Amino acid sequence: MKASSEHELVQRCRQGDETAFRELVDQYKGLVFALIARSIAERARTEELAQDVFLKIHKGLPYFRGESRLSTWIYRIVVNVLAQERRDVATVSLDEKGDDDRPRHEPASEDRSFGDLVMKDRLQKAIARLPVPYQVLVNGHYLKGMRYEDLAEALNMPMGTVKTHLHRAKRQLRHLLETELR
Amino acid sequence: MRTHCDELEPLIEAIADGSLAPSAEDAGHLASCAGCAARLERARAIESWLQMREVASPPATFTAAVMAHVGREQWRAERAIDLGFNLAMAAGVAVILAGAAGLAWSLGFLSITIDLDALRAALDTEATGRVLSQVQTIAMSAVLLTMALVLWWWAEAASD
Repeated sequence: MKASSEHELVQRCRQGDETAFRELVDQYKGLVFALIARSIAERARTEELAQDVFLKIHKGLPYFRGESRLSTWIYRIVVNVLAQERRDVATVSLDEKGDDDRPRHEPASEDRSFGDLVMKDRLQKAIARLPVPYQVLVNGHYLKGMRYEDLAEALNMPMGTVKTHLHRAKRQLRHLLETELR
Repeated sequence: MRTHCDELEPLIEAIADGSLAPSAEDAGHLASCAGCAARLERARAIESWLQMREVASPPATFTAAVMAHVGREQWRAERAIDLGFNLAMAAGVAVILAGAAGLAWSLGFLSITIDLDALRAALDTEATGRVLSQVQTIAMSAVLLTMALVLWWWAEAASD
């Protein structure tokens, strides 16, 4: 979305234009919903949280100063809503040394088939156990239409470190599968 | 002492997603080390699964549900403002009544005959005397009414 039309949409929303807010919802609901759905297993809860995100957007629009892109601000709200949903894990810092020092486990031979539903289920569970920022990174990175820079800014990550964090997140996933979720 | 496996471990994901080409040495190690090869295979499987994950779509009624939710929230907020306004108005009326009563008492209107006589004597006419004796009450009521109207205007503006 162009900056000018984005600014115009925000202005119209601020003036109480219901049609403008409806446009905003229509524009972002797909990515917001998909992003939340990848973190929350229950469909009904996903819907509730996605609605909650748009309510927060509606309440927050009068205070949105336009210093960041609207999409970045929206994804930041998504991150906060997901973090609130899983407050305990959300406090894990991305700057922590991570799991590099953990003992490595040799993958068992029976674990090598990844194409089945059991493995998908285990991966889903593993993603759910990642710290929220890593979760959002892994979930958002592979969503078509999600801008890399929006994701980085929403997660307060310098652009240059996103790839490193993504690799760390995926490494944590692999370690979870090799250890706790075997 | 760090082994080649240790050195390769943090690079597995980058090799798996294709953002890093393994060096000849690493490629040789991956070909000969079953553990590292299995890790790479697992990382590639994770990568491929992440790329193929289905994308959940919101229900067709999602936008309508959000708008209804927003409407309910606005109604709640307006109701809170209305309640506040009504309470403020009630408090204003109570203050006006109390002020009027207090003023009447302080001016001695409760023993009206004596004081009216004194006023009449001082001001010559009965009508002028009555108006003048109530000027303070009227002024205070006007101020309080203006404040209530300003509050009402503010509440309406805030609810818009």
